[in-house]
Amino acid sequence: MAAQQLTTASAPTDIYGGDEVSALVLDAGYCHTRAGFAGEDVPKSILPSFYGSLKDASQLQGARDIFGDECLLPHADFEVKNYMSRADSVVEDWDAASKMWEHMLIKRLQPEKETHPSKNGLNDPADENGDVNMEDVENQENQEKPLAESPLLMTEAPWNAGKAREKAIEIAMESWDVPAFWLTRTPVCAAFAAGKASALVVDVGGACTSITAVHDGLILKRSVQKSPVGGLWLSAQIRSMWNSSEPKLDPMPTFMVESKTPVDAGAPAQARVRKFDFDISPSFRAYEDERLLTEFKESVVEVWRGPGRYSNPGNEELVKTQPGRVFEMPDGSNQMWREQRYRVSEGMWDETAALPTNEADTITKAQTIPELIKSCLNSVDVDLRPQLLANIVVTGGASLVNGFNDRLNNELMAMYPGMRIKLHAAGLTTERRFGAWIGGSILASLGTFHQMWISKKEYEENGAGIVEKRCK
Amino acid sequence: MSSDVRDVLNLSVEDRPRPAKRQKTAASRPNLKGLAREVQNLGGDNPIAIVPEISSFKKRRLGSRKPAARWKLAPFRNSARGDGLLLKHWKREADKSSGQDGPANEHEATAEKQSEEIEDSEFAKFNVSVNVPQYSDDQYNATLTNKDWTKDETDYLMETCKKFDLRWPLVWDRYDYALKMLVPSGQGSGEGESDADPNSAVVPTPKIRTMEDLKARYYEVAAKMMAVQRPVQYMNAAEFSLHETMVNFRPGDETKRKAYAQSLLGRSKEEIKEEESLLIEVRRILARTEKFNQERRELYNRLDYPQSETTQDLSSFKTSMGLQNLLQTLMNVDKSKKRKSLAGTEVNTPASAGPSAHPGSTPISDHRRESIAASTHRDSIGESSRPERPAKKGPQQPERRKLTEQEEQIYGVSNHDRLSSGPTFRFERINKILTTKSNAQHQRIINTLAELDVPARLNMPTKAVVDQMEKLLNQIVILLDLKKVGDKLDADIKVEQVKKADREKRNAPAEPEKKGGADEAAKAGAPATESAKADAADGAQQAGQNGDAGVKQEVAEDKMDTT
Repeated sequence: MAAQQLTTASAPTDIYGGDEVSALVLDAGYCHTRAGFAGEDVPKSILPSFYGSLKDASQLQGARDIFGDECLLPHADFEVKNYMSRADSVVEDWDAASKMWEHMLIKRLQPEKETHPSKNGLNDPADENGDVNMEDVENQENQEKPLAESPLLMTEAPWNAGKAREKAIEIAMESWDVPAFWLTRTPVCAAFAAGKASALVVDVGGACTSITAVHDGLILKRSVQKSPVGGLWLSAQIRSMWNSSEPKLDPMPTFMVESKTPVDAGAPAQARVRKFDFDISPSFRAYEDERLLTEFKESVVEVWRGPGRYSNPGNEELVKTQPGRVFEMPDGSNQMWREQRYRVSEGMWDETAALPTNEADTITKAQTIPELIKSCLNSVDVDLRPQLLANIVVTGGASLVNGFNDRLNNELMAMYPGMRIKLHAAGLTTERRFGAWIGGSILASLGTFHQMWISKKEYEENGAGIVEKRCK
Repeated sequence: MSSDVRDVLNLSVEDRPRPAKRQKTAASRPNLKGLAREVQNLGGDNPIAIVPEISSFKKRRLGSRKPAARWKLAPFRNSARGDGLLLKHWKREADKSSGQDGPANEHEATAEKQSEEIEDSEFAKFNVSVNVPQYSDDQYNATLTNKDWTKDETDYLMETCKKFDLRWPLVWDRYDYALKMLVPSGQGSGEGESDADPNSAVVPTPKIRTMEDLKARYYEVAAKMMAVQRPVQYMNAAEFSLHETMVNFRPGDETKRKAYAQSLLGRSKEEIKEEESLLIEVRRILARTEKFNQERRELYNRLDYPQSETTQDLSSFKTSMGLQNLLQTLMNVDKSKKRKSLAGTEVNTPASAGPSAHPGSTPISDHRRESIAASTHRDSIGESSRPERPAKKGPQQPERRKLTEQEEQIYGVSNHDRLSSGPTFRFERINKILTTKSNAQHQRIINTLAELDVPARLNMPTKAVVDQMEKLLNQIVILLDLKKVGDKLDADIKVEQVKKADREKRNAPAEPEKKGGADEAAKAGAPATESAKADAADGAQQAGQNGDAGVKQEVAEDKMDTT
């Protein structure tokens, strides 16, 4: 995971034009928030965007927020929240967002500053879970503003509203005192991570799928297409499949299982359920369910590779004859999955094949990936279309579903038969998941990027509106 | 120990390849020391496969180890920025002399360095921006008004172009004049106000601009401003071509082209297939006609058909000269044909057998092979016909435009059969005539010239003068010859007359025949000499005239030439 050590920094500058200014890069998504140092190839700190809100009896003002994967454990009076909005993948709860980001950028990335032992919190009676008391961090931060040394580059969804952008720069400038700031769109970063300045970026993320045309390092606003068909939508499909299966599957997440004994495939589970002497909040249960579903997606779900749709006659029969995959639930019950694993993902391509879910997750034809790409291309200049089709960058964690790229390629070939279509999808899982962060890391470490930063002085002169003017 | 192993493995002592290994160990042994040697010795005769560690390499590095390079977090500026933002990057410290000093000293040194020069980023030079045309209000009103565009919107267009560095897809994508009108210039934060604005104020709904509209307007403005700054006739080539390009921008054509591209993009699979097959068909037809033409050409070649001459210039055959040329050509071709037919037969037969095998109804698959065969055929023909080409070219070359005499005079063109190498004096030609003659004759010519009042040495030997002089001298020579003949005949006649008188004296009866013959001879000689005399006089007069006229004018030139 560690970034490659560059032994001599004198050599590479003239090769790729890099000039590090120890910038930080922050990429917030609905499922995960990624933060790290510019110039590295993987974010140093990857936390779920879900955070815990602990109602502490001792504290009167209500909930205390705790951040980090390791804190999301069953507690009494514990809610799991997300600071991002599910529908748009943009920040919804700014208080939580700034706390979360502070936690990542300051607590996780900055070296521990030596403070007086009575104040540094190490000698305080340890929390039972060892998590961080954010008020303390805040107090520290109020005193010294620890990001004064590092420029900060943040990413945002292409449809991010002007107000949200201004809010972001306000937080960075006012409360963290960063010397320079920049806000860039995720598709641009993803394209940069693939080494392209112009590309059609297909970002299949957790909450949203977005298709954006990037021209010369800037997004084409009219081309931005967004759809809920993403990782969470796929989870809803799986849940729907489990519900409708015979017998109905209602697996319990890992934290509820105390012990299990192996059973044969299809046999009922033999597991002992852990008892808690407090109520598990539905939000925590949903979060844990999602983890299980993610595992299922990663190991079982596959996309029908085409050509043609999965619902075409003969395809399902073919799949049934082929070996399936076994998945063992946390409680020990296991089952072979054959044609179902194709069926859940088919809705991404063919809205008629989507499994019935609640209304929020029902998609229309226009929200399927091929239609998104089509309408994206239709809203850019015709001269750009061939170039975009030859430079399609696939990124986002949900695009790692098996067979996704093959299917996408087949669909595009069928839609644009005469064109040269080329997909660029990073082979490494991390590169696909953190494409936007990596692009931001590249961008922030470029020597030519120094002139782009919005400096503190400029911010003070022009106010938060400068971000609209500069970050086009 | 190794022998023990051998025992265990039931290996005989004999079948080990000893000598080779001996040499190796002997070479490596002296290098080993201490424990390594002990270990090696354990192996006995059969050394253990231990790669001896060569420590010299490592030692050298250890010996020359320098103190670690010093890096410092140096602030730098980027002159492309207006705000003087100081960022810090790690830089290798240039001099390591301060490294030897105490830490306090070093701190001072770095502090000094930081204060004295904050370097500029080497990437600042990449900050470039495009120039969009600038215009004042007066200029706008004078030249740029357009019923479709307000000044405000034109300003907005120029601003957008500058903002996006004239990347048209982006300009078009972000061009939102309506939004710009909603949000008054300055801070766009008050969204509530701007929402209320359009209801109260009368806002003309702006047109939806296509990319062509934007381009057309921009080019119009840019071209006009260019012309204002520097009138078209004073532009240099690059500027002029840019201006031309911008003036000639036709948004209609662009739109049509894009519509066509769009339809091309939306073709179905079947249409593409059809188009491809049609293209293949066209190519096939073209290839067939090409082949047909080739064959026809070959046939013409074989029939000695003078292809190029007839089509190009028929008039060249109207003269006898042209006919002569044609005859020459045909003979040349005929000769090479005869030679070729000997050489070409064995080359031609396999190839020509191909097409004749299936005439007319050749299947498609065969067609390609056939065409290949045809091409090789062509090559072989081409090869053998190459030598004949220069022969054919020969008579073709004088097809250059003939100059009329008048033109030749104007351009000072003269034709020479053969030029002697190196420069010569023109009067050498005259001298040559004189010097080749015998001394007496020379003297006689000089005398004749003196008689004609022409100087023996030309003052002004221009081409015309020399030509005339040459002519004159030749005439004089002829004259002198004829004179000589005439003198001789006179003398003969006299002798004969004396003889006749003697004979008449001796015998009274006379022979009239002989006298008649001599008379005839005298008669024949006299007119000849007369005419020659007249000719010579004429020539001399001409030469004199020309010479006199030329002399005075060209003395100066002549002097210059000779100097």
